[in-house]
Amino acid sequence: MKDFLRYCRMTLLMMKNCLIREMQFRSNFIIRLFTEVIWLGMQFIYVEVLYSLTQSIGGWNVWEMVILLGTNHIINQLFEAFFFDNCTKLVDQIRLGDLDFVLVKPINSQFMVSLRYTDYASITNSMAGFAMIGFALHKLGTAITPVEVLLFLLLVLNGIFILYSMMFCLSILTFWIGRASNLFELYYQLTQFTRYPGEIYRFGLRMVLLTAIPMLVVSNFPAKVLVGGLLSGRLFYACAIGVSFLLITTWLWSMGLKRYRSASS
Amino acid sequence: MIEALLKGTSAWKYWVILSTRTQEDMAYRANYMVGALFRFLPLLTTIYLWYAVFNSPGYAWSGRMGKMTLPDIVSYYAIMFVARGFSSMPGMTRDISLDIKDGLLNRYLIRPISYFWYQTMYRLAHKLIFWLAALITFPPVFYLIREYLKHSPTVLEWVGFFISLIIAFWTGVLFSFLIGCLAFWFLEISTFLFVIMTMEFFLSGHLIPLNLMPSAIVHYVQWLPFAYEGYWPCMILIGKVQPDQMGTVLGIGFLWVGIFFVLVKLCWKWGTQRYSAVGG
Repeated sequence: MKDFLRYCRMTLLMMKNCLIREMQFRSNFIIRLFTEVIWLGMQFIYVEVLYSLTQSIGGWNVWEMVILLGTNHIINQLFEAFFFDNCTKLVDQIRLGDLDFVLVKPINSQFMVSLRYTDYASITNSMAGFAMIGFALHKLGTAITPVEVLLFLLLVLNGIFILYSMMFCLSILTFWIGRASNLFELYYQLTQFTRYPGEIYRFGLRMVLLTAIPMLVVSNFPAKVLVGGLLSGRLFYACAIGVSFLLITTWLWSMGLKRYRSASS
Repeated sequence: MIEALLKGTSAWKYWVILSTRTQEDMAYRANYMVGALFRFLPLLTTIYLWYAVFNSPGYAWSGRMGKMTLPDIVSYYAIMFVARGFSSMPGMTRDISLDIKDGLLNRYLIRPISYFWYQTMYRLAHKLIFWLAALITFPPVFYLIREYLKHSPTVLEWVGFFISLIIAFWTGVLFSFLIGCLAFWFLEISTFLFVIMTMEFFLSGHLIPLNLMPSAIVHYVQWLPFAYEGYWPCMILIGKVQPDQMGTVLGIGFLWVGIFFVLVKLCWKWGTQRYSAVGG
């Protein structure tokens, strides 16, 4: 418990440092918000074009699709806020030997490298996702119970951890294969699968996206809580996936550290 | 052979840049091939998405301009990979703006080379490698989706397509260079680049075929230079550009390239006058 509090304090401290840094570049912050609004606007036009041709795609009507988009937006933005920059920076830290500075500190190294930098613009951006969901729920006329809200938030958190696990594992492959910037490309392309309803994929691919590359667990599951139709079995399954992926990262991290050569320092 | 031909001419130095950059990229070829294959994943989701749309219970074409069938749409997105392979210049704008911001431009200014042609050759080298890799990665992908590639282009369409790819490359290079030059006037443009790249992604028709958008928008966006970075090459090859329109489409493309050339010259002239070699 004492350790837990200490790590909470560390997280807040690192977040505070980043906030101070961020406040020096305020215009940057505003432009980032602006970009996300444009991006969301484009997604809306895409949805508008698709639904100008049909009423339902994979059994999701237009407002349910907006909920999915919003959920996906929240998860991706919060993942970017806390983990994305850290994972990309990790590659160079490993390659150039800068990881030394983390390893000598009396703190869990995976914790430190994963949460060092916080991107505040992304936190603010995630709000747009909540707004989209709220608006879509209003249009659908669905009433949401507090339990559903809690389940939704739990699965959102679960989704963020799955994304983190996948990106983190890709980053630390650097321990074994040197420069691998294109693996981030893989990450980007895989997140495509979180955007659309799982029902549109063929059975085999859907199975892969539910197990080995659980992209459908990331955003489809939480969205399902709100549009109705998430069974409790799936809830446990989602959390099991999230936890096992996190465990894999810690195992892979400890394996990787054994190979760390502290090159060029 | 090319070396013997160029040696002693002023093009020689640019040839050296081209071949050095190519060799640099070849050093990381495994990394490169992996990336090249991953890039096709969005095509997969796109096919599934549109398949679901065309096969949904209430499907009806909305009557917006330009009817497209499922094969049309899939071909469009597949050819988009070819077109963007010519027009996208990843990192170019950023590199140029950093050279300007950090004063690294000095290195090039004191040398008897043109920075613009240096950058162009640099990107051309990337593109050559890209196409070398594409010779291996594209055929299997196009083979897999062969049942959707229904349209067999006429000779005119093939010619128009290749010309449009040249326009695509130049639009990409010139526009990226132009935006990079903004760093002469504004010190911090990296975030602004996000906005530009997002707009480019959308306005080039990469996300949605431009003709499917509400007609009030289509009439304008299809004539912007960005449409030549993706939309027009695709439309030409899937047979959506009538023979009598071909001249207009390509002509306006060349007009944009010309305008961009002039703008690049002007920006470079005014920019280097302002350039203060900070930190150089």
